[in-house]
Amino acid sequence: MGERLVIAKGLGRDFRDGNSGRINVLRDVDCEIAPGARIAIVGPSGSGKTTLLHILGGLDRPTAGTVEWPALGAFETLRPRHIGFVFQSPSLFPALTAVQNVGLPMLLAGENIGASDIGASLLQSFDLDELGDKLPEELSGGQAQRIAMARALAMGPKLLLADEPTGQLDSRTALLFLDAVLDRLEATDIALVIATHDEIVANRMATRWTMDHGRLTTGHRPGAVTA
Amino acid sequence: MMFLLWIRGVLARRFLRVAGAAAGIALTVALLSAMALFLANAGASMTARAVSAVPIDWQVQVISGADPALVGKALADAAPVKAVHQVRYADVAGFEAQTGGTTQTTGPGQAVAFDGSYLSDFPAEIRSLSGTLDGVLIAQQTAANLHVGPGDAVSIQRMGLPPVEVRIAGVVDLPDADALFQAVGLPPQAAPQAPPDNVLILPQEAWRQMFDPQQKARPDTTRLQLHARLAHAALPPDPVSAYTFVTAAQRNLEARVAGQALVADNLGSRLGAVREDALYASVLFLFLGLPGIALAVALTFAVTSSGAARRRAEQAMLRVRGATIKAILLLSATEAAVAAIAGTAIGMAAASLLAAVAPGLKATVGIDGPTLLLVAVFGLLVGLIAFLYPAWRDARWVTVAAARRTVNRPNAPLWQRLWLDGLLLAAAGLFFWQSASTGYQIVLAPEGVAATSVDYKAFIAPALFWLGMALLTIRLSATIIARNGALLRMIVAPVSGALAPVVSAALSRQAGRLTIGIAMTALSISFATSTAIFNTTYNAQARIDAELTNGSDVTVFGTTDKPAGAHLKALASLPEAAAAEPMQHRFAYVGTDLQDLYGIDPHRIGRATGLSDAYFSGASAAGTLALLAATSDGVLVSEETVQDFQLQQGDTINLRLMDARDHQYHPVPFKFIGVAREFPTAPKDSFLVANSAYVARTTGSDASEYVLMRARADPAALARKASSVLTFDPSLKVADIGQAAHLIGSSLTAVDLGGLTTIELGFAVVMAAAAAGLMLALGFYERRRPFAILAAIGAKPRQLAAFLWSEGLLILVGGMTFGLISGLLTAWMLVKLLTGVFDPPPEALSIPWLYLAVVSGLVAASVIAAVLSARPSTGQTAEQLRDL
Repeated sequence: MGERLVIAKGLGRDFRDGNSGRINVLRDVDCEIAPGARIAIVGPSGSGKTTLLHILGGLDRPTAGTVEWPALGAFETLRPRHIGFVFQSPSLFPALTAVQNVGLPMLLAGENIGASDIGASLLQSFDLDELGDKLPEELSGGQAQRIAMARALAMGPKLLLADEPTGQLDSRTALLFLDAVLDRLEATDIALVIATHDEIVANRMATRWTMDHGRLTTGHRPGAVTA
Repeated sequence: MMFLLWIRGVLARRFLRVAGAAAGIALTVALLSAMALFLANAGASMTARAVSAVPIDWQVQVISGADPALVGKALADAAPVKAVHQVRYADVAGFEAQTGGTTQTTGPGQAVAFDGSYLSDFPAEIRSLSGTLDGVLIAQQTAANLHVGPGDAVSIQRMGLPPVEVRIAGVVDLPDADALFQAVGLPPQAAPQAPPDNVLILPQEAWRQMFDPQQKARPDTTRLQLHARLAHAALPPDPVSAYTFVTAAQRNLEARVAGQALVADNLGSRLGAVREDALYASVLFLFLGLPGIALAVALTFAVTSSGAARRRAEQAMLRVRGATIKAILLLSATEAAVAAIAGTAIGMAAASLLAAVAPGLKATVGIDGPTLLLVAVFGLLVGLIAFLYPAWRDARWVTVAAARRTVNRPNAPLWQRLWLDGLLLAAAGLFFWQSASTGYQIVLAPEGVAATSVDYKAFIAPALFWLGMALLTIRLSATIIARNGALLRMIVAPVSGALAPVVSAALSRQAGRLTIGIAMTALSISFATSTAIFNTTYNAQARIDAELTNGSDVTVFGTTDKPAGAHLKALASLPEAAAAEPMQHRFAYVGTDLQDLYGIDPHRIGRATGLSDAYFSGASAAGTLALLAATSDGVLVSEETVQDFQLQQGDTINLRLMDARDHQYHPVPFKFIGVAREFPTAPKDSFLVANSAYVARTTGSDASEYVLMRARADPAALARKASSVLTFDPSLKVADIGQAAHLIGSSLTAVDLGGLTTIELGFAVVMAAAAAGLMLALGFYERRRPFAILAAIGAKPRQLAAFLWSEGLLILVGGMTFGLISGLLTAWMLVKLLTGVFDPPPEALSIPWLYLAVVSGLVAASVIAAVLSARPSTGQTAEQLRDL
């Protein structure tokens, strides 16, 4: 087992509500993610799954507790180099083609050379090579999500965070998508954390974390990191 | 309920879009209201200025045998009359005077008598040069001819009666002699008569004693006129209405006094001339104002369309959920109504504020409720159409799938495939060539004819050019952006660095939205540029026109007896004077035609006054003056004289000039070397320009009647100082350029562009900044989610900024480039087409660099502000992703 990718202790996150009060979205959450982990975060809507994912990915800061990325280096370098993100709703840059979207993280990381080749190669690995010149709005939902996944993997991250990646897909397309992702990650030590409502998806993960009213109530099993 | 919910949602989530559209409508309404105020006020001020410059409104000549009292009563019944006075005229065979042992005689002349209080109601008719106004007065020219002054005796050669002798009390100038001695009752097309050279003004009683017998003996040689001043307050403010009012009253009077009196309607003639200026004001409004209004409307449409993608997606959502087209349109109408009502209210409030503070708009004469109501209705309609038309089009034609797209592959529209832009520009060129090459006048208001005409065809060329340039801007911008070639990458490279390829690729997929932004910015800058250049050129020409009339910044007018040149040293030493140069003003007979002769030092005259190339025909000002300097006996004559006398360059012409030694006219040979169209202080028709040294030598007098002065700073201050130096001699008249600019009647400055251009230049700045900044900000606002995603996948703030700055730079560079080119060409076209308002025509465009720099700076600032406001705040990516 390698060094932990993420260690979170006592995480809390609250937001201002419309009536000048505060809503606690996360409360006292402890968790760790090890290399190669396959984790499903499940729970009802509003339970805090997305917020937890955002904090684990460095997109959001907790209002209580700490989060560290021991194996991923400084916070500033987390994205796009070490952490890849896939979102529930369409998240491709609408003005760029599929291949440009996939190569975008490399350009943002300053790796200009070969971005389009790597992008094309990633598309091929997801059987999407014929869609390279398409604009996001010319793609189906499943195609767009697979391309978003390819983009998330473009920099060879150590942690892949996906927020309801199959939420807008029908069940067959969702399964195909999940199979493609798991196939792609097989034999790598890239950790995958998926927030999902979908039991089928959750069941394909080795570890299940359950969120309820902002608390990680079950499944926190440090070390349960194997696929 | 649904509508309330919808509008609450729109205001909460799409406030910027609604506010932007309301701002566009407010601009349109405010500009239109201000324009309407300008037009009404320009007309009113033109009428007021014109009527104040008429010395005698009506001259009613009582026919021999008619009862003057009855004619006077008819006059009072026909029009609102403020004052009526009797003036008597008698033809005389000549005048004679004995001076210095010699007898001087003149040709035929006139003896005039004003009634008691005439000069209190018509003070402009007589200007005292020397002596007093009580007693017998002699006209300046007659006094010069007879060599007499106050205290001298003059014999009047009556018709068929023995001469009578009078003693001169004063020498006077008759500034309005043309009207005073005009032949009453001639048709308007008749050639004007020159006023008599020899005039004596007698007290009424003396006149009656001397000429009542002549009236009995030769009734055809005496006349009685009633000079009337109308109540100007009763005139309508608009020049055309005032003209109609006055001419109708004149006809009414003519009908009342048919067979008893004849009427000369000087006021009607003056207003008739001003009608042309009023029409030019309307033309200028159309040329300069309408593009501004069109631009404001286009800006409103562009603002509403900037959120079109999102709105289409929202409507598609509604359609998916079963909303009918009618329901969608009603929802859009609700949004439109909010924007239109708010925009119209703000626009009307802004116009009221402008009316209170802007020059030329304070009085709201002629503007009534219905006009402003019409403007408000227009604003509301613009708002409704701007929202409803795209909603109707999308709901009617676009599929749900297509409607949800926010980025589209470039697809050349029909006008591009038909090369409509090229066709419009070619047609504009053709119309312009046809209009400008034929030397026509856009406005025609023939003298004596009630009907006026405006050649509206002249509007076609600039309108087509404006449209063509807008479409060409869109074509070229779209091509450059969509092609994603080296030029686009070169433009964005300075702000996008290593991301240039991906930034330019992203921009190339948004060519449609970007080209609208560029086109709107370009049109705004073009509008600002063309208006500012036209205005600056116009003002420069107005100054030249005023200088032409006044002679220089300040001119001291004297006479041969009392020349201003005698005080040259004192005047030149004034600290406010940058230069002072003498100029002779004599009279010379060309054949039987008496013309003004100006004697100058060609080497030095330019130090005190500006001489434009347009003043001379066939050569530049410098070339003509150099030729005059090189030809001591050279003379420049007017085009009219060249034609009348069939002169050829190099011809010797003998002019008759008065010799100071014997006070007689003697022929002096001159060589015709060039043609002068205009000259400082010279009349418009015929005059002569020669070397002062030659004139002095051949006439025995080196007196310089005038002194032209260039002011170091304020001409009015110099004029005051010069007047204070010359107080000992009231016959010397000091005039500054400001007075001349105010008095010029039917020429350039009569149309007061100040108000119009103040409004337009102000609005142009606002629109240029709004077009660039607002369009950009709205575009960014609509695309917050893609930027949030970019941040989420790892874009650093400077990388996000690269996308924003690139877009801003593209709109700035494209808008400025196309806008400045288009504005410059439009201004050139306007100046060429509106040659009629320029007198003399400008040699080149005057570029208002400071204003253009301010506009450019503000456009750049608005772009910077839009980019800075769109930069995502650090650490808010997750919240933005959640919210969008």
